[in-house]
Amino acid sequence: MNDIKVIFKREFRAYFYSPIAYVFSVIFILLNAGLYMFHFFFIGNADMRAFFSTLPLILGLIFIPAVSMRLWSEENKLGTVELLLTLPMKIESIVLGKFLASLLFFITALAGTLTIPLALEVLGTPDYGPIIGGYLGTIMLGAFFLSVGLFISTFFSDQIVSLIITSLTCGFLALIGWGYVPMVIDGWIPGLGRFLYDYVGVTRHFNDVEKGVISIGSIIYFLSFTGLFLYLNAKALERRKY
Amino acid sequence: MIELKNVCKDYGSTKALVDVSFSVKKGEIIGFVGPNGAGKSTAMRIITTYTAPTSGTVSVGGFNALENPLEVRKLIGYLPERVPLYSDMLVSEYLAFIASARHLNGTFEKRMNWVIDACGLTSVLNRKIEVLSKGFKQRVCLAQALIHDPDVLILDEPTSGLDPLQIIGIRNLIKELAKKKTIILSTHILSEVASVADRILMINQGQIVADGSFDKLVKKVSDSGSVYLSIKGSKKEFESGIKSLSDIQDISYDETAPRGQTAAHLYYNPKADLIAPLNELIRSKKWMVVDLQQEQISLEETFIRLTSNSSGKTTEVKREGGAK
Repeated sequence: MNDIKVIFKREFRAYFYSPIAYVFSVIFILLNAGLYMFHFFFIGNADMRAFFSTLPLILGLIFIPAVSMRLWSEENKLGTVELLLTLPMKIESIVLGKFLASLLFFITALAGTLTIPLALEVLGTPDYGPIIGGYLGTIMLGAFFLSVGLFISTFFSDQIVSLIITSLTCGFLALIGWGYVPMVIDGWIPGLGRFLYDYVGVTRHFNDVEKGVISIGSIIYFLSFTGLFLYLNAKALERRKY
Repeated sequence: MIELKNVCKDYGSTKALVDVSFSVKKGEIIGFVGPNGAGKSTAMRIITTYTAPTSGTVSVGGFNALENPLEVRKLIGYLPERVPLYSDMLVSEYLAFIASARHLNGTFEKRMNWVIDACGLTSVLNRKIEVLSKGFKQRVCLAQALIHDPDVLILDEPTSGLDPLQIIGIRNLIKELAKKKTIILSTHILSEVASVADRILMINQGQIVADGSFDKLVKKVSDSGSVYLSIKGSKKEFESGIKSLSDIQDISYDETAPRGQTAAHLYYNPKADLIAPLNELIRSKKWMVVDLQQEQISLEETFIRLTSNSSGKTTEVKREGGAK
């Protein structure tokens, strides 16, 4: 537990050593709030549906890959991985420490969008169920994408390569549950689009949570996939020894 | 303290280590020498548990490196060849991070102060690592290896890229530490090994080609002994006298000797004693001796002979003057 804390502290502070973290956080908040405000003034409802509906794509394509890219790639590039993995710590603790640090950084950036519900409170009487559900779902979705990004960054020493591959992977996971995409895939290979939508894509589960319907199935989906990728991450590092 | 038994390591079809076995006693300083790509760093990575061997066993302090890696890591301080450091941290932050990762709770302050002092880091504590010179980076990395007062130190090229003054500083620190610790260090600078290490392990193409003290290694490769003698007198006089010594196998005259002097390398059967009859000759001929010294093969030469023998080639090497 202490080891997780030590790694967590270093990793979380490391985000603030470089300006990249600030730049991405500001872009993330501006992009989301900007897209939402357009909807807000257009439709005039005191809810955040428009905000949460575009979130999986923005997170998957841009923000999460930018947060996760450095986690292992930087260690690989600097060679610090050699010292890190010869510290008297379990690999699982190191992976978990890094994951939690990136998750907290993500939650911090997400907290920057809390100005939207505040504005809604002033302007109208919003239904807090879907808003709280939406934020909860976003955190679970972010955790899942971060575990994917953390896993992918293990294999590369170039942060940009990690960013692109994570972006493609998370973007794919978000897109296969998106609007007409499953139908298009079904058009190519009948049944595949539906299968991906039901069992692999994140958007369906995210939409459930975001509507305020926090089903056990969705929670299990997010938690188990996050756990799976963290486990795979530890295994991949263990495997590297051979 | 450290024991490797039949360790092999393959990277795909490349064999980095082939059946390597050796053991290191407590308090010994081992110098690991060998050409680039010989397998020195691989062997060190296996001992530090960063890499696992393809076959064979490794134990450190009685703990098996594969079954008990965490216990092994607690015993070891490791300075990797690349000197990896988090460049955006302050020196003090970095050392504090390593200290807490090494679970130094009660002794945190004491160890931090000791390591900062021993590695001479006081002046750069609040500087970012990325702005430090190569020498300071090396010292910061050495500090992280020493911070938990480990029983075993694994130093992969600890003095590479340093200026002569810094090299002497690090060498003295290693000698100081050697009183209490078991040390394995690798280097390209062979004189460094000769001056620091108790025992030399020479490795080539993944195999140990020589193991022993510097003197033992030199004996292993030398097929004849040699003495350098310089006297005041003519070459003829010199030659006639030396001819009377039966154990001399070969004479190689030193053409650079000043006028009026004659100097030569005398090669003799190493099993025989040359010094006593030579002294006798000098006394009887009443020679004025300018220089007389027992020559030893340099470590560089030993290294070339051993590494070239193991790769199936033979290299003719000329002896160098001067005793070690």
